[in-house]
Amino acid sequence: MLYDFLIVGLSIGILYGLVALGISLIYSGLDIVHFAHGEIFMFGAFFGLVLYDEAGFNYPITLFVAMILAGIMGVIIERVFYRRLTSQGGGYTVAGMGMIICGFGMAIILQNIAFLIWGANGRPMHVNFGMPVELGTITLPQSYVWILVVSVALMAVLHLFLKHTKLGLAIRAVAANKDIAYLMGVNVPLMISLIFGVACALAAAGGVLIAPINYVQVEMGYLMLIKAFAAAVVGGFGSLPGAILGGLMVGVFETLGAAYISGSHKDIYAFLLLIFVLMVRPTGLLGVAAKVKA
Amino acid sequence: MLALKGVEAGYGKLKILRGIDMTVPDGAIIALLGGNGTGKSTLLKAISGLLPVWSGEILFDGEPIHNKRPHEIVRAGLVQVTQGKDSYPGMTVEENLMLGAFSRSDRAGVRADLEKVYGFFPILKERRKQLSGLLSGGQVQMLVVGRGLMAKPKMIMLDEPSAALAPKVVLDIFKQINRISRDLGMTILVVEQNVRMALLLASYGYVIHDGKIHLEGDAKDMIDDDAVRLAYLGGTVAEVESPALHR
Repeated sequence: MLYDFLIVGLSIGILYGLVALGISLIYSGLDIVHFAHGEIFMFGAFFGLVLYDEAGFNYPITLFVAMILAGIMGVIIERVFYRRLTSQGGGYTVAGMGMIICGFGMAIILQNIAFLIWGANGRPMHVNFGMPVELGTITLPQSYVWILVVSVALMAVLHLFLKHTKLGLAIRAVAANKDIAYLMGVNVPLMISLIFGVACALAAAGGVLIAPINYVQVEMGYLMLIKAFAAAVVGGFGSLPGAILGGLMVGVFETLGAAYISGSHKDIYAFLLLIFVLMVRPTGLLGVAAKVKA
Repeated sequence: MLALKGVEAGYGKLKILRGIDMTVPDGAIIALLGGNGTGKSTLLKAISGLLPVWSGEILFDGEPIHNKRPHEIVRAGLVQVTQGKDSYPGMTVEENLMLGAFSRSDRAGVRADLEKVYGFFPILKERRKQLSGLLSGGQVQMLVVGRGLMAKPKMIMLDEPSAALAPKVVLDIFKQINRISRDLGMTILVVEQNVRMALLLASYGYVIHDGKIHLEGDAKDMIDDDAVRLAYLGGTVAEVESPALHR
């Protein structure tokens, strides 16, 4: 049984990691904490639902198109709303609470838009993946296999993109120091849009991947945001490997907690882990000395 | 190559530059001297496009650049070489250099220029796979100069290349800058606190004081004149009045 719980925990955890990765990417690139990221995840899931159940695309294409749509949505949100705030004060950073409140406001707006379009009732995405996979003693539904494989593949692609392409190099430069990146001839505002788009596409992938095993509903973003946030902090805020590690730890910890201690308190375990990690290592597991940012 | 006419700029409501006039001719090395807080860095930021220009104009190659954004100015061929501390310490030496070439798309040319930079600074080639945070102060300075060259600029602006370096290292760096000017025919504006070194290198010098060009003249004349040293050391304007040099 332990192995079953472990692999389920890892699958859920890697989804937390995927969303946390976007939050960390935005934080390291734009120096803002994006509190509407859970809603992007929710929109991704709904995009998946519409594309798969109503438009009749197959699952991989649904995943791909939902990611593109959420990416475009992210770029528009950043350009139209956040850019006004972040470009004040001469830089790309907003001191104080402005950006945080703006993020929460955006979350509420997106939730209500989703409510207007899709209503309050949750519905599952009816994907027929076929028979579960047998791995030794473990029986694993194929939806979990998809989660693990696609998430790992996305993370690998992101890593290769950031480490081995010219654009990835420029994004890392923008994350480290925007003025210097500008002086190198990098179009910094364009890179910021790109970072936002990629982060939102990752969240949407998480949404489409979770849709076959969870109900897709308007409120699903909120809990995901909090878990992904916990994951990002556990791993070290702004650290990309940290976000993945934190996600996996949160997923495994809460699944094992739910299985062996008490299932009705499932959502508490993530935060117990968070508190524990912050007590022992305030910067998070892979975090370096924190950037002081609002 | 570069001409500034009555340039004013600042931060928020605070005006730092109060009408700067300056000319950098083709192929020349020009020194811009001044102490801390006189407006040197602000002027560089205004030229590079990091700060908006409030009034006046900046012409590069005859084209106005004071309304352009930083990456467009780099594309036009004017590159600011940052201080050594502004390398990307978390990236390797070669990644830093390749970042300098971000605005270019001619792969072969970039490769050739990388070798050229390694030719000027062989130590960078030796350490190209190491993180630039591990380089010594002098090596990091070489790295940022090399990174500036990777953009294939027509003109570079050096922001205090001697900052926080030992005298012997400074001499090395300045020799290389001189070689770059000679070999590549590069136009160079060197912003310095190290008055003597900068004037030895440059043909013409400007002294900035309190957001204005306070003195200018041939480097040879300036080097012996106490006025420069006084202005640089923060002497009052009255003390450094010098009819021979004052504009």
